[in-house]
Amino acid sequence: AAAAARGLSRAGLRAATCLAVRQQARCLESSTTETHPTIRPKDEVQQKQLCAFGEYVAEILPKYIQQVQVTCFNELEMLIHPDGIIPVLTFLRDHTNAQFKSLADLTAVDVPTRQNRFEIVYNLLSLRFNSRIRVKTYADELTPLDSAVLVHQAANWYEREVWDMFGVFFANHPDLRRILTDYGFEGHPFRKDFPLSGFVEVRYDDEVKRVVAEPLELAQEFRKFDLNSPWETFPAYREAPEPLTIEAGDKKGDVK
Amino acid sequence: MTETVLNRGLLVAHLRILYTKLTAVLQNIPKDAAYRKYTEAIINERLNMVKTEPDVQKLENKINGGQIEEVILQAENELNLARKMAQWKPWEPLIEEPPSDQWKWPV
Repeated sequence: AAAAARGLSRAGLRAATCLAVRQQARCLESSTTETHPTIRPKDEVQQKQLCAFGEYVAEILPKYIQQVQVTCFNELEMLIHPDGIIPVLTFLRDHTNAQFKSLADLTAVDVPTRQNRFEIVYNLLSLRFNSRIRVKTYADELTPLDSAVLVHQAANWYEREVWDMFGVFFANHPDLRRILTDYGFEGHPFRKDFPLSGFVEVRYDDEVKRVVAEPLELAQEFRKFDLNSPWETFPAYREAPEPLTIEAGDKKGDVK
Repeated sequence: MTETVLNRGLLVAHLRILYTKLTAVLQNIPKDAAYRKYTEAIINERLNMVKTEPDVQKLENKINGGQIEEVILQAENELNLARKMAQWKPWEPLIEEPPSDQWKWPV
C-alpha cells in the first residue's frame, strides 16, 4: 500500500495545463456580462472521472507509468517507460475496467532537443465505456521498441509508417519495411532535420530511358522567413530567470 | 425456445468456471498488489451476482457488461491478462525515471 501511494505521488497527476483556458479565465473574470458560446465549457465531471481512472491505472502499474496527465479538454495521457509498452497496452485492452479494444492511432513526434528525441503516441478507444486514452513512450534513433502488433493488429501499418518516416525500429514486428517513401529512398522524411524539399530530385533521362534520382537543384534558394513575433508567445509558461552565479574559475573578463 | 434457455444456462456455468480459474491465478500475485485487490473485488462481485441470479436476462442487466457471451469473452481476456501480470510483476516500483526534460511541454 505504501509503494502504491509513492507510485501515485510520483506518477504525479497533473491536471489541466492548458494555456487558452487560463487566458480565457482571465478574460471572463474581467468582463461581467459577456458570454463565450464558441468556447467549450469546462466539464468538471468528466475531468474528475478521468483523473480517478488515471490514478487507478497508475496504482496498478507503477513499474512502467512515469506520469499521468489530464489536459484541459479532458484527454487522459499516460507517459510510460519504453519497456512497458506491451504490458500497459495489454492491460488496457484486457482489464475489465479498461477494455480499450481499439487502437485508433500510432504516431511519433520528433523533438530533436531531447535526449530521446522521438515520442511515440498510442491513441486507444474503449467501445464499452466510450472513452479515449493516450499512451506515450520515448525512443531515440537507435534503441528498438517492442512492437504493439502482438496486442493490436492495427499497429502493423502504423509501425511501418513510423519506421519509414522517423526511423524508429520495432522489434518483433512481422514485416517492417517502408510504406510511403519511394523504393530506393534514403532518409527519414518526418524528422525535423530533414529539409522540406528533400535531398534528391527525379527526372526522366532519355539516354538511359528511365527515371533517375539526382541531387537537388532548386532554381531559387529556399527563403526562410523569421516568424518569431516580438510579443511573448506563452505568457502563462514563463519560467523564473536563472540567477547569475559566480563559479570557481571564472575570470573577471568572462562574459556569459 | 427451451434450447436457447438451456444453452444460456451452460454459458452461466462456463462463466462460473472462468471466475474460479481467475481467483486461482490471482493467488499467485502478492496480496498487497493493487491489481489483485481490484480484480478480486470485480470477480467476487460478479460471482455473487452469477450465483444469486438464475435468470440470464436479469443477470446481464445486473452485470451491465453487455450480453452473457460478451461477459464470457471479457472473463477469458481477464484470465489471460492475470497470467501475464503474474509474469510481468507490474506492482514493483518504477524501472527507470525519464530524463528530466523528456516530458516537458512546451519545449
